[in-house]
Amino acid sequence: MTLVLALDTATEECAVGLGEWDGAAMTVFGETNLDVPRAALTHLVPAIDRLLKDCGARIDRVGAVVCGRGPGSFTGVRIGVATAKGIASGLAVPLYGVGTLDAIARRFADHDTLVGVVGDAMRKEVYPALFRCRGGRLERLGGYEVIPPEVAAARWARDAGTGPILLAGNGLAKYADVFTAALGDRARLTPRADWTPTGTSLLLQAYAGASALSGAGPEAGDGDPATLLPIYTRLSDAEEAERSKCGASGSGDPAAAGTDVPSSGVTGPGSGRP
Amino acid sequence: MTVAIRLMRPTDLDAVVAMERATFPTPWTRGIFKGELLQGASRRWVVVTSPGGILGYAGTMQAGEESHIMNLAVRADSRGIGLGAALLADLMSDAQARGVERMTLEVRPSNAPAIAMYEDAGFHPAGERPGYYSDTGEPALIMWTDDLRSETMGARIGELAQRGRRALAERSGGAASSADGVRRALVLAIESSCDETAAAVVCGGREVLSSVVASQIDFHARFGGVVPEIASRKHTEAIVGVVDQALGEAGVGLGDLDAIGVTHGPGLVGALVVGVAYAKGLALATGLPLVGVNHLEGHLFANNLADPTVEPPLVALIVSGGHTSLVHVPSWGTYHTLGSTLDDAAGEAFDKVAKLLGLGYPGGPAISRLAKTGDPRAIAFPRAMINSGDYDFSLSGLKTAVITHVNRERQVGREIDAADLAASFQAAVIDVQVSKSVRAAQEFGVKTFCLAGGVAANAALRDAMRDALAARGVRLSVPPLELCTDNAAMIGAAANFRFMRGERLGLDAEAVPDLPLE
Repeated sequence: MTLVLALDTATEECAVGLGEWDGAAMTVFGETNLDVPRAALTHLVPAIDRLLKDCGARIDRVGAVVCGRGPGSFTGVRIGVATAKGIASGLAVPLYGVGTLDAIARRFADHDTLVGVVGDAMRKEVYPALFRCRGGRLERLGGYEVIPPEVAAARWARDAGTGPILLAGNGLAKYADVFTAALGDRARLTPRADWTPTGTSLLLQAYAGASALSGAGPEAGDGDPATLLPIYTRLSDAEEAERSKCGASGSGDPAAAGTDVPSSGVTGPGSGRP
Repeated sequence: MTVAIRLMRPTDLDAVVAMERATFPTPWTRGIFKGELLQGASRRWVVVTSPGGILGYAGTMQAGEESHIMNLAVRADSRGIGLGAALLADLMSDAQARGVERMTLEVRPSNAPAIAMYEDAGFHPAGERPGYYSDTGEPALIMWTDDLRSETMGARIGELAQRGRRALAERSGGAASSADGVRRALVLAIESSCDETAAAVVCGGREVLSSVVASQIDFHARFGGVVPEIASRKHTEAIVGVVDQALGEAGVGLGDLDAIGVTHGPGLVGALVVGVAYAKGLALATGLPLVGVNHLEGHLFANNLADPTVEPPLVALIVSGGHTSLVHVPSWGTYHTLGSTLDDAAGEAFDKVAKLLGLGYPGGPAISRLAKTGDPRAIAFPRAMINSGDYDFSLSGLKTAVITHVNRERQVGREIDAADLAASFQAAVIDVQVSKSVRAAQEFGVKTFCLAGGVAANAALRDAMRDALAARGVRLSVPPLELCTDNAAMIGAAANFRFMRGERLGLDAEAVPDLPLE
């Protein structure tokens, strides 16, 4: 029996969940989901504290921490990851990661359908990820990336079969029409309230499917709070500018682009992996 | 050296285990003690230190609202003088502060002096645990206190603490002040306001047990300045390792700590966020109090950390890549910012001029090295605001003057003498800073002036400042380089001060990029 605390602040939602993993199934004790744009640092730890109290649980009984790694707001995801690192280090328990887009898709895992999650990446770009759901199982069809919404929508219209696609994610607040235009009557826009991860979906995603035994999926990491990092998919502006100046294009760090400089290590473990 | 109580450290274990063996027929093993020290916030283990070694030790385990005294021993040659009461007072005061309701312990019924001491402290017999002591088959006498939050127990603990302080002071030959005698807080400090991820463990605001700084300078150098997004990413990568290293080098566990201090401003907001979020998570998990520290107050305390005789009233000039401020400090905790830069910070100006001359980043050391061989009077750069009558600074005009000069020289095809230019630029910066600093020291009549921040590493600035102030009978304090540049030891010193004043940061705390010093 492991008491599991899950949190995510990569979107404007501050999502916290508390559950128990018995080695085979996850029992969710409670969750708190607050719509607090740009205020996660203020609300996250008090929300955890309150949820523990409401569930009659003590923080020192928590045996594992789960954290959403994005992609999403850079600062938002760092608030969640840094807080989770502090909690896991303080308790000396493992810290596992889940993809934020995956935790959003998890909310629709009971449907038998494709789910397209569109995260808002600002600057007229999105973090798109396509998932296949079947009987409570969830499979991501591709890696994480950041591209213009038109490119993502056109690709899904072309490559993602002919059936309906459930659309979710906070990127739809700006670009729903781009996706509905490209997908036509295949587009199934979900309610706005379902566009963010929840405490429950984080817990279920972290301990779901093939990764159930250890909580170890491609995004999970090895449990070490020191090494778990956000998934950014984009370099810092300064590095982007430097890269375009070097004439380098495509993926890879600046070192690979021929500039003999230290990388800022933006490609954390698990990023871009299918 | 005094007789005092402090938290037990792994390095005390030899002495503790030896005393345990000499005291009890069925002694605890070294492994048990070692395990206890790793247990975290639920435990408190303390020792009585003296110039002649450790004189006693004791520890508690907290479980919910109850706290159990697990062990207590005083060296045979030091019994009957109140050291046991001092240990007990420490543990009971701590339990009281944590909101513990009742305390309990087991003692041999045959150990009359111990029972008398415990009864004196408010414990009373509440039953027996049969066959508890394996060597004699003796039962254990179980003792409990009344509610620690009651008025009677409050008074009793206060009285016991007073007696404990007196006992320690007497053993110290009367040298220990009551404040110093009982216990000194052990603070873990975290700093992430700019481009250094730092953590330190500081005891009593004075003794630096460890100070770890992970510099990101290589990652920012090629951009000629700190890139906020890269800084935030690097802090996230480094923070756990840096804190673990600081605890490891200090030889303490989280359970030994009394508080966590963290820089919550001023600085780069995205960078501050990482340290504050991590510290809040750590505080939630350990139950330790969280103390917020103003980064600039940390720089001021660096002076006191380097030299404990540096005390207010004083005036300080904080000069770094992000700050240029003159501050009057009538007493610790009271700060009046007399003036600050209206545009660039001094360090920033050095970086920009270095970039112009192709000297790389950071610019401070490069310019100061080059300036040594140049003539500071070669080029007459403006001394901006030197006669403005206030304490504000402006450095962007000087930067523009340097750029104009370089362009003009290049236009007429003249070779630029980089050494002369560096020396002249540096002299212009220093002249203004020294002039305003001296005037502030005189206006507020202080005998101590502190230089703080990374630019304090500039030898020419230090020398000019020292000479000008000495001529007016004012002493200049400059911390060693590792305390001038950003570090967490100085944050720990400031956190200790705030902690002792009872200041705490709530779990809803924000990072405050423009946090005022006042």
